Amino acid sequence: MKNKLLRYLIRRFFLYLIIFLISLTAFFFFLNLVPGDPVTRYVQELEARYGLATPVSEEIIKEYKEAFGLDKNLFARYTSYLKRLVLNFDFGPSFVAFPTPAFQLILDAFPWSIGLLGVAVIVSWTLGILLGTILGWKRESKGASFALVLGLILSQVPTYLLALILVMVFSFVLGIFPMGGAYSPLIEKGFNLRYIIDLLYHAFLPAMSLILVYTFGTMISQRALVINILGEDYIKLAEAKGLKSNRLISRYILRNTLLPQTTGLALSLGFIVNGFFLIEWIFNYPGIGRLFMTAIRQMDYNVLMGITVNTMFWVLTANFIIELLYPLIDPRIRR
Amino acid sequence: MRIFKSSPKFTVGVIIISILIVIALLEPTINNHRLGGHSSTEIGLYETSLPPSKEHPFGTDAYGRDVFSLILTGLKYSLLIGFIAGGLATLIAVVLATTAGYKGGWLDAFITTVSNAILIIPSWPILAIIVLFVRKVDLFFLSLILAFFSWAGSSRQIKPQIASLKERPYVELARVTAFSDIEIMFKEILPNFLPYIFVGFSYAVTGTMMAETALRLVGLGPADIPSLGQILNWALYAGALAQGHYFLVLTPIVILILLFVSINLINVGLDEVYNPRLKQITGV
Repeated sequence: MKNKLLRYLIRRFFLYLIIFLISLTAFFFFLNLVPGDPVTRYVQELEARYGLATPVSEEIIKEYKEAFGLDKNLFARYTSYLKRLVLNFDFGPSFVAFPTPAFQLILDAFPWSIGLLGVAVIVSWTLGILLGTILGWKRESKGASFALVLGLILSQVPTYLLALILVMVFSFVLGIFPMGGAYSPLIEKGFNLRYIIDLLYHAFLPAMSLILVYTFGTMISQRALVINILGEDYIKLAEAKGLKSNRLISRYILRNTLLPQTTGLALSLGFIVNGFFLIEWIFNYPGIGRLFMTAIRQMDYNVLMGITVNTMFWVLTANFIIELLYPLIDPRIRR
Repeated sequence: MRIFKSSPKFTVGVIIISILIVIALLEPTINNHRLGGHSSTEIGLYETSLPPSKEHPFGTDAYGRDVFSLILTGLKYSLLIGFIAGGLATLIAVVLATTAGYKGGWLDAFITTVSNAILIIPSWPILAIIVLFVRKVDLFFLSLILAFFSWAGSSRQIKPQIASLKERPYVELARVTAFSDIEIMFKEILPNFLPYIFVGFSYAVTGTMMAETALRLVGLGPADIPSLGQILNWALYAGALAQGHYFLVLTPIVILILLFVSINLINVGLDEVYNPRLKQITGV
């Protein structure tokens, strides 16, 4: 029934909006209830760091507070923040790169992160499901138990620690991969083969630190799912009636594991992004994560706020898109 | 103790984590003996950047500290924060999951929505900003906010079990004999579900330790609590990689990985034993 599908989609959409609004509000109020305002804090940080003897004049602080709208009360600040955010994605200016808008900095960094993260997540998820299915199907073989042990270890390594190991081994000890950055400093940018190869060369280690961990993570969960399904009566029936194993795997097994695996992916996206911030920092990769770490060091309030709200928004949106795919995967939702 | 026999994974996990816990417990004695009463974080106690030797098995770092002692201290604090924060997170998870699973209705819907929100949104940047802006971060505050962002994961492990326990005959019986809800929750349901609470706890310990290590690795949080992440941060900032002091970077990483892997082995082992369906199929 079309009606039911529509109801499902609308309900999901509202839930998505509510979760975003709750997270945003909780985050905003928490940050604003911490004593001290960002401008004063930033000035204090500068004074402490550079040992400035003459204190910054109160007037200048006051002027900046007005420019950032910090002189209003908490509720007025909240409504104006929401209004600016919804109407024109305005997160306020960056403190350090004043008067560049924080959103501009985020937009510049965004393609790098989404490119690397997107490819790594899709590759590891697909590869993990394939490997896990083979592992569950041929669980008696010697190779399978070796892969299982390897998976049990690798899937538990935090991506940022693996990144440290990889950069240590391949960049510092062996020297076969670059220590960081997204491209060589003197290369001619543009759509040419040398630049593309250079990009891939620089992205390889950061991508591998994510791919290795999540491929094996997905493999382990897929193996468990496959083994569970193999015990079902309908599989025994299908085998008994002489169904070819190719068809059994694609129609009966993969199809039934797709839903839990999609849910698993949706739920772990936030966690993957958490680790990705550090991977970018370790490899000095010019995406959102590195921008965030720079902003942390400089106490650049608007950029920090902007990045957090943006990552929240995009991860939630990715989740919502995945939920839109559910009716395709699971016909029960359609009916 | 039948579980040790039936699951080698569980046994290996328990052995590794026990060794690490014993080492952490012995840390004060060992370091007192090795450093003669000095703190392992005291700067300039020895010559800087010594290679591994009999006296300093892992050498010394760029600040003149004995790396072996430093790492022992780091292990102690990493475990301490993991266990305190993990314990707090499990407590929150148990209370909320029991309430949600047992009461149902709008309360269940609300708790589930909040816990999903915490699970879905990338919480680490938020955690980093909180630690950055709250000036005085001590062990307890750090554990508390780590717990706040990781209870949802362990609640996800616990809640389905509560929902199934609720339907068991002895709970029905208790309800008919007019026990109060609180009494049923704590007297009938909780004791039967300690294994699941334990699984929730170990998820929370891993989660909080990972988040804590990540925070300290980038130099956030209380520098006077030298956990393994903090030690890694010191090593990276002193240029340990460029100078070839790989020991200093690799050892904390290996210990952390051992912690995470052993806890996961325990979880997998418990799942194999307490999930009879899986056991029947795999034949372990």
